[in-house]
Amino acid sequence: MQFSIYRYDPDTDKKPYMKDYELEIETGSDMMLLDALILLKAQDAGISFRRSCREGVCGSDGVNVNGKNALACITPLSSLKGKKITVRPLPGLPVIRDLVVDMTQFYRQYEKIRPYLINNDEQPVREHLQTPQDREKLDGLYECILCACCSTACPSFWWNPDKFIGPSGLLQAYRFIIDSRDTETESRLDDLDDAYSLFRCRGIMNCVSVCPKGLNPTQAIGHIRSMLLNRGL
Amino acid sequence: MNKNRPGSVNLATMVKLSWPITSLSSILHRVTGVLLFLAIPFFLWAIELSLSSQSGFNQIQQVLQGDVAKFISWTILSMLCYHMIAGARHLLMDAGIGESLEGGILGSKLVILAGILIAAGLGVWIW
Repeated sequence: MQFSIYRYDPDTDKKPYMKDYELEIETGSDMMLLDALILLKAQDAGISFRRSCREGVCGSDGVNVNGKNALACITPLSSLKGKKITVRPLPGLPVIRDLVVDMTQFYRQYEKIRPYLINNDEQPVREHLQTPQDREKLDGLYECILCACCSTACPSFWWNPDKFIGPSGLLQAYRFIIDSRDTETESRLDDLDDAYSLFRCRGIMNCVSVCPKGLNPTQAIGHIRSMLLNRGL
Repeated sequence: MNKNRPGSVNLATMVKLSWPITSLSSILHRVTGVLLFLAIPFFLWAIELSLSSQSGFNQIQQVLQGDVAKFISWTILSMLCYHMIAGARHLLMDAGIGESLEGGILGSKLVILAGILIAAGLGVWIW
């Protein structure tokens, strides 16, 4: 099987380039893209990429495969079309080396939405209770693993990575806005009520197309937008 | 060491990325919007001239009979129709309709299909 991998070493290379590799894979067998990358690293020890849990939970091996962002560890080679598999770093973030990108801008946006439960009521003796119905509202939101596949597929995030929160951050923002135990709903909405933070979303839906966990940031953004609208009426 | 990290997205990288149908309907919405905006001065000039006098009206009518003028009118009308339909889809999405991945794909397909059909219909009407 043929691979074309994005290579860039800041110490020696002026510009990134694509390098071709060949990997023998037994016919009838399959493996995840991450396994293939590890085997290629055995051929060429210079190839750099991030990986940790290797089962789609940690979110560290987000890469761009054949033009589409995905987690290498849960992408079977058999699911990829074409003779040659092209692997690039996630688009839009500064490349540190090969497939490793600088996630600072992405995390800064996450930080802005205050990704933790805030409850200013009197502290209960045990825990904050929640009805099963209220708990259900968090489904499809809490599963986000911050792999950045969605935000780096989003043109609005490419052009304004410093001002637009991005699909991942906004999905997380909604996760706390809708949480019945959180008392800062109003100030959370205030934080997003400007021209850039949320309203740069143009409904392109690239985020939904790529999310490896099957989540829907576009819908979460729509819900926040409706809440902002209802508040203004 | 090279301090200028690569990775920013430009046209060269964009063509290497995959383009889901939802992104195609979206970029068409944006492109038609920009072109329609640029067409406004021409139409203001045309309507101004056509309303100024009988001879001005005849002049514009004559100009619009030409093949090039017909083609331009057809393009602009088609773009206007597509832009309105795509905009209506966004209103529906704001109401929570077609926000799922399947719904978004279906909506984009319908919008593009409707745009093509209307463009064809306009072509028949103009020529």
